[in-house]
Amino acid sequence: MKKIFDTQNLSLYYGKNQALKNINLTIFEKSVTALIGPSGCGKSTFLRTLNRMNDLIPDVMIQGNVWFGEISVYDKKTDVIDIRKRIGMVFQKPNPFPMSIYDNVAYGPRCQRNYGKKELDSLVKEALIKSALYEEVKDRLQKSALELSGGQQQRLCIARALAMNPEVLLMDEPTSALDPIATAKIEDLIVELKKNYTIVIVTHSMQQAARISDQTAFFLLGDLIEVEETKTFFATPKDPRSESYITGRFG
Amino acid sequence: MSKFSLRHMLDLFLQLMTFLFSSISFLTLGAILVFVFNQGWSLINIDLIRYPYESTTLLGEPIENQTEFCLCEPNISLGDDVFYSSKWGIGLIEGVDLLGQASIQLAYIHPNSPLASLNNKGIEGNEFVLLPEYLIQKISYNDRATSLARRGVERMINELESSNSIFEIEVITKGGGIGGSIITTLWLIGLTLLIAIPVGVGAALYLNEYAKKSQFANAIRSFIETLTGVPSIIFGLLGVAIFIPFTVALTDATGGNLISGALTLSVILLPIIIRTTEESLKVVPIDYRNASLALGASRTQTTFKVVVPNALPGILAAVLLGIGRIVGESAALIFAIGSIVRDEIRLTDKSTSLAVHIYSMMTDEPANIELSSTIAIIILGIVLVLNLLIKFISTRIMKGKIGGVI
Repeated sequence: MKKIFDTQNLSLYYGKNQALKNINLTIFEKSVTALIGPSGCGKSTFLRTLNRMNDLIPDVMIQGNVWFGEISVYDKKTDVIDIRKRIGMVFQKPNPFPMSIYDNVAYGPRCQRNYGKKELDSLVKEALIKSALYEEVKDRLQKSALELSGGQQQRLCIARALAMNPEVLLMDEPTSALDPIATAKIEDLIVELKKNYTIVIVTHSMQQAARISDQTAFFLLGDLIEVEETKTFFATPKDPRSESYITGRFG
Repeated sequence: MSKFSLRHMLDLFLQLMTFLFSSISFLTLGAILVFVFNQGWSLINIDLIRYPYESTTLLGEPIENQTEFCLCEPNISLGDDVFYSSKWGIGLIEGVDLLGQASIQLAYIHPNSPLASLNNKGIEGNEFVLLPEYLIQKISYNDRATSLARRGVERMINELESSNSIFEIEVITKGGGIGGSIITTLWLIGLTLLIAIPVGVGAALYLNEYAKKSQFANAIRSFIETLTGVPSIIFGLLGVAIFIPFTVALTDATGGNLISGALTLSVILLPIIIRTTEESLKVVPIDYRNASLALGASRTQTTFKVVVPNALPGILAAVLLGIGRIVGESAALIFAIGSIVRDEIRLTDKSTSLAVHIYSMMTDEPANIELSSTIAIIILGIVLVLNLLIKFISTRIMKGKIGGVI
């Protein structure tokens, strides 16, 4: 498998607080990598270093480097907008813009250049089909996105990210605000999307990690404790701390 | 616990106090409204807009030495309060002018009356028609002493009936209209908002979206806080010191003018608009900004495509506060555009807003409380209409976004 992300001695500080400690993690193309660990372990922070969303938080200091293919993500010459175009992100709480469904999906492409109406129409349709939402909303594309249910909103956010035709989808606990049925739909979608996209997902649910991921990375207090193929990780964890976490002794 | 415990009594007392104070504030506001309406309602009249502020005195003499009298009865029925001279065919009535002063008004002119049209004295060959709205100052005769308006309408009619030859009639066209001041006020609202909204919203965007935590932004913020408390007359001085010379240099203005007034008001409005807009920017969820940035939008695209549209209701609230301030401002405007009431409004000329019009009326001798109250009602009306308009726009915007969920 081809490497897509490679972090080298990545450390991150919020002011004086060290949130990530020397993380070395390789993520492979067209696979699902799950980041698990108890709250405050740094898994979300790690996810956000991959597309430089931590830039927005004041007082963040980063050491080490992230390689995205041949691009050094934290190089001064790197265009952060180019990185974010190629790495889509889905957040914990569904956050569609208060605009129509169509405008939500078209938002990203429209920010890049002027599209013709037909071109944009087919782009929006394609993204909605890929995110398994098209059948449910095809008659009301001009209605407000806020009328959708939580699960539909989250799939809309996935469609919005897919409209940019990214190489990677970063998902920060995308199902934590959803009910079990909506969660199942998103999980099915992730498995489907894996064929064409690399997916990195932060999740609180170990069952979810076990169900959908190919590789699991376990974080604890800013350290990357163990990274392993998912089946192996859950069957025979090497580190005693991983075992305690999996068996529910803490976290 | 007993019903008359200390705690129970204290609770009751505090409750009563809150009720009392809310009643006091409500009653005070109500009393002001009642006073204004009571004083001013009688003068509310479409004529306030129809007629100019300036009235002209016309001196008329009968055309060709008139000896034929009318000796006719009115062809419509006149009210009991109209005094009619059948000899001359005119009816007079005790009336009030637009300023509320007692005067004698023409009530009726018979078409055959020898006075129906008069020679405009001093201007050769210029005739004018007596209109029922004109006020009669005095009538001079060739064969008897002059009758003056202040001696009352009944006496004037009697004197008119006893005379056979009129020398001249002095009438005043109807004046006291406030149309010019209304137009000035609307101009001021438009111009000021045109200047202050882009500048204020731009400043707020810079402070909240780009320079959030910098020392510079904090310094500006505390400076703006201070400016909010500065009395407006100081801004008026600024207008005199900076904006009047500025407009005089750039336009054909010679002194205070509408543009310098609008510029001064813009400065007064800026702190309000910046603060209100910043508050509304703060409540735009950070999620929207994150989502937009994660989609590869630049910071500026995020600001103008996501943040500003979501802050629009707040920005409209700022506009509303601004309008209130513009309409209500008087001290600064007295300096910046003057207090001269005008009918013809030019951007580069002195004129006066409704609030300053009130000031002019109240500094007259004697103070004209009735007309001032009438103007106050009109100001209230303008503010109310603009308020409703903006509320309407704001709900339309929200509806478009939420799609009828709220």
